[in-house]
Amino acid sequence: MNILPGNMRFGTGQPVKRLEDQRLLTGLGHYLDDKPADGALWLVVLRSPHAHARIVAIDTQAAREMPGVTAVFTGADLVADDVGTLPTLPIFKRPDGSPMALPARRLLAHEVVRFVGEAVAAVVATSLDAARAAAEAIAVDYEVLPAVTDPSAAIQPGAPVVCSDAPDNIVAAMSYGDAAVVDAAFASAAHVVSLDIASQRLIPSAMEPRSTIAELDKSGRLTLHVQSQTPASTRDILADAILKRPKDSIVVRVGDIGGGFGQKTGLYPEDGLVAYAAVKLNRKVRWRGDRTDEFVGGTHGRDLTSTAAFALDAKGRVLAYRVSSLGGTGAYLAGAGVIIPLVLGPFVQTGVYDLPLVHFEIKAVMTHTAPVGAYRGAGRPEAVYIVERLMDAAARQLGIDPRAIRKANYIKPAQLPYTNAVGQVYDSGAFAHMMERASKLADWDGFAARKKAAKKKGLLYGRGLTSYIEWTGGRAHTEKVSLQATAEGRIVLHSGTQAMGQGLETTYSQMLAASLGIGMDKIDVVQGNTDLAQGFGSVGSRSLFVGGTAVAVSTVDLVAKAREKAASILEASVDDIEYADGVLTIAGTDRRISLFEIAAKEKGARLSVDSTGEVDGPSWPNGTHICEVEIDPDTGITKVVRYTTVDDVGVAVNPMLVSGQIHGGVAQGIGQALYEGATYDADGQLLTASYQDYCIPRADNMPAIEVTLDGSAPCKTNPLGAKGCGESGAIGGPPCIVHGVLDALAPLGITALNTPLTPEKVWRAIRDANAAQK
Amino acid sequence: MKAGDVAYFRAQSVSDAVAAFRSCEGDARYLAGGQSLLAAMNLRLLTPDLLIDIAHIDALRGIERRGGEIRIGALTRHAEILSSPIIASHVPLLAAAAPWVAHPAIRNKGTIGGSIAFADPASEFPAVALALNARIELDNGDSVRFVEAQDFFLDLYETAAEPGEILSAVWFPVATPDQRCTFDELARRRGDYAIVGVAIVADFSGEIVDRIRIVFFSVGSTPVRALRAEAALTGTALVDTDIELAQQALAGDLSPSDDVQVSAATRMHLASVLLRRQLGKLPVPTPKAVRA
Ligand SMILES: Cc1cc2nc3c(=O)[nH]c(=O)nc-3n(C[C@H](O)[C@H](O)[C@H](O)COP(=O)(O)OP(=O)(O)OC[C@H]3O[C@@H](n4cnc5c(N)ncnc54)[C@H](O)[C@@H]3O)c2cc1C
Repeated sequence: MNILPGNMRFGTGQPVKRLEDQRLLTGLGHYLDDKPADGALWLVVLRSPHAHARIVAIDTQAAREMPGVTAVFTGADLVADDVGTLPTLPIFKRPDGSPMALPARRLLAHEVVRFVGEAVAAVVATSLDAARAAAEAIAVDYEVLPAVTDPSAAIQPGAPVVCSDAPDNIVAAMSYGDAAVVDAAFASAAHVVSLDIASQRLIPSAMEPRSTIAELDKSGRLTLHVQSQTPASTRDILADAILKRPKDSIVVRVGDIGGGFGQKTGLYPEDGLVAYAAVKLNRKVRWRGDRTDEFVGGTHGRDLTSTAAFALDAKGRVLAYRVSSLGGTGAYLAGAGVIIPLVLGPFVQTGVYDLPLVHFEIKAVMTHTAPVGAYRGAGRPEAVYIVERLMDAAARQLGIDPRAIRKANYIKPAQLPYTNAVGQVYDSGAFAHMMERASKLADWDGFAARKKAAKKKGLLYGRGLTSYIEWTGGRAHTEKVSLQATAEGRIVLHSGTQAMGQGLETTYSQMLAASLGIGMDKIDVVQGNTDLAQGFGSVGSRSLFVGGTAVAVSTVDLVAKAREKAASILEASVDDIEYADGVLTIAGTDRRISLFEIAAKEKGARLSVDSTGEVDGPSWPNGTHICEVEIDPDTGITKVVRYTTVDDVGVAVNPMLVSGQIHGGVAQGIGQALYEGATYDADGQLLTASYQDYCIPRADNMPAIEVTLDGSAPCKTNPLGAKGCGESGAIGGPPCIVHGVLDALAPLGITALNTPLTPEKVWRAIRDANAAQK
Repeated sequence: MKAGDVAYFRAQSVSDAVAAFRSCEGDARYLAGGQSLLAAMNLRLLTPDLLIDIAHIDALRGIERRGGEIRIGALTRHAEILSSPIIASHVPLLAAAAPWVAHPAIRNKGTIGGSIAFADPASEFPAVALALNARIELDNGDSVRFVEAQDFFLDLYETAAEPGEILSAVWFPVATPDQRCTFDELARRRGDYAIVGVAIVADFSGEIVDRIRIVFFSVGSTPVRALRAEAALTGTALVDTDIELAQQALAGDLSPSDDVQVSAATRMHLASVLLRRQLGKLPVPTPKAVRA
């Protein structure tokens, strides 16, 4: 794949400061809710207070009569208007081979509510206050039904049923590998290490809550302003599944997004409601989610409970690997839905190790809770956590250094490209090298002295190591862009990938500047308009390695087209036209024309190419993280004091932005390891429905994160050599921290603890261990 | 969630405010910094009909020395307490507690009067007031009365203030040269409400504790004095065995309950850890220091 203009590699690789920052930090960002009121009506959603109930009746009379109220909608109204349901991937089967359960996710619940926070009615009014007041005046008569919130309880006989298509609450299941062969390997193994492991349910915390605006233009075309990481599929779902109107009768517009993390993919019920109301009322309608809307109405993440085991030989080589998991889906299937536990997790469940003999079984289980969707890593943090925890537990049980056991099991460079046990092909990687480099940078050998110093202060001290791998690309390996040179002297890129804070504008500008030889100040990166560009959007860490590949292709295409144009304008042969720094010259002469002069002669005063970039497969970023933690044994308070990473992201276009991605991911990983966790009570009430109860780490809970990017194993599936990097930190973070804590607690005989490792949990474990030793 | 409709009145004086309170037929509330009240209204835990804004009443401001006491006006913000040299030198326990109250943005708005009047059992200032047995000044528009802190905090969010009475100031005794104090708390994250906290003030005669007041907060429905632990320490030089006895006595002083955050047993344990650590940190005057 040698399509790269030679100079792209030279110009990139610089830690260029983010072009976005000046604008965003001075309040000039274009966030959706900052849009002017503009006569729009406000939509407010009334949510279910019950986890499971039959809707006996909804009395909207009083609400309709309140001042300012334009309309009140219930599930029945939407059914009557033939409004569709939110789709999910219907590609799996239940354990008995029957088709997977597909509970109809309506914009408004109809007849039954299945989780606290499910939308039940919508009010549209002339002001937000009027809409809120009217929503409170809606009387819903519920017949409360028993609920189940824990996936393991949900599969017990007699458990309350979420969806009648799945009487045992198992939506779908997958199994990988050969159980009999694996069982035989376990039976004869020298050692067996097993663990019960859970990646607890998390609630994503984007700084900007969701919001939506919809309006019709005079021709009846609908514009949906929404915060979507995937504008094109958001449009398609709205057109095909919900409103059942032609795709091109809708344009989706996305401005700046204050964080997405996978939660802002697809279409939410609120988006559909706003669009429906705008069409129905032929008025501009807007919705503003507040934090409660996000906590109870946004998709959650993780929720995977597993029993896992390694069979090992005497030297610590893993012979066979068995995992049985329950993935909580919540009450409905989000767009990516069950693909996360059933497919994306298993893709990397063998981690960076050569573990050919596996048996994985995963059941996707419904509960009366908010739907689980993508959250930074989506399946991969859960899966890597399993293999890493086992690797560490095995090292401890067998008395082997955690680095040595990993070295014994890493995929060796000579094995690349390597096909893992579930058929995924790793194109590149230098796993042992990353680990060795990380150990050096983390001052592995200085640990003993630091531990001794901590002990003097009465603290327990531990070190955690983890090697992670990320599958990236979202199974969408092509992306389209259009690139234009304008008569005004600007280069304009239209891309269907979508920035949500990662700095794509900077990265793409850097690439364009390098390959076209044109200053970054002359480049405009335009995203978030489905009329201008369509693509899969930004999920699965794909923006640079897929979207960037399309950018690279477009520069080649633009230069080729410009050379042809120049050749005809200058009356020379194309082969004699040279391109450099925005100017096309007949080789060996001073006869030249600039790219922008050519544009001036074009129709619309633009020289434009539509280009497609395609990569050969996913990319596999990976690396090793090492941390050190100190624990106050009297309080259980755990502090991460050192955190060192070596991350293989292949070729980094902008190392500063990549480091930022690792930092953010690790911060969320520390959140999962030590702080965060969604808790439902037995009745299905979300106990952690605000930041008072849902604890996310703050800046002062973060250690300095020392990131080193190692480009020695560039990606082979795309011309940039780049690997994704958006989710890496969130994958490496949790096992790294948990290993550190367990290492500190190991002398007390503590071998397992489930996240989040709150001070109380850690202190209780210490107390119980001390009591047991007495 | 957001608050419902509420009427608003900006008072110019205490009597103005009290008159508005008395003539309101529904539930009226004084609004100071709004950092507890507005949050509770947004969560619909409180649904007052009328907010009487007292934040513009100048008489409720100011920090000054009055004889052996420091009078702190009710509207004094947490941030002002944090930066006041008078408080730093004369009410060091209050100064030590202030950094633990919430975050800068909240400290820039929240007031000491609001904190004491609200009487959140997880709040720092009520505990400090009890430890120093501050005098709470209450103004009903016609006259002013004083209630000692030890008689002020009655129950969860319940104080000895009569309906309509405005907490106009808090009077703290000026610290004496032989007095030492310490403050600490354990919270999930810095700035969060405490899981358990302690304020300690001790008067020494040489190395010997003459009098000690130990107040825990976030362990019950009000700040709680640990009377048995105090008794165990009075007359001692705070050596390890004394501290152990005080820790044992604590079981009779506190009876925390479970909540979403932590269990009662964990709270009790943490209170005991805090007590040991803070007593260990109390800068016991050395004979030399006493002379100087
Ligand atoms: C995120 C967050 C974190 C916080 N963390 C902490 C913390 O760690 N520790 C802590 O102590 N506090 C904390 N607070 C609360 C904060 O300190 C409040 O400022 C304080 O509790 C109340 O003061 P206020 O001036 O804001 O009172 P308001 O909110 O205005 O009023 C509170 C109550 O007191 C009444 N009131 C107020 N002033 C008077 C008066 N002069 N006379 C009679 N009644 C009056 C009001 O009617 C109301 O009922 C936090 C708040 C938030 C939002």
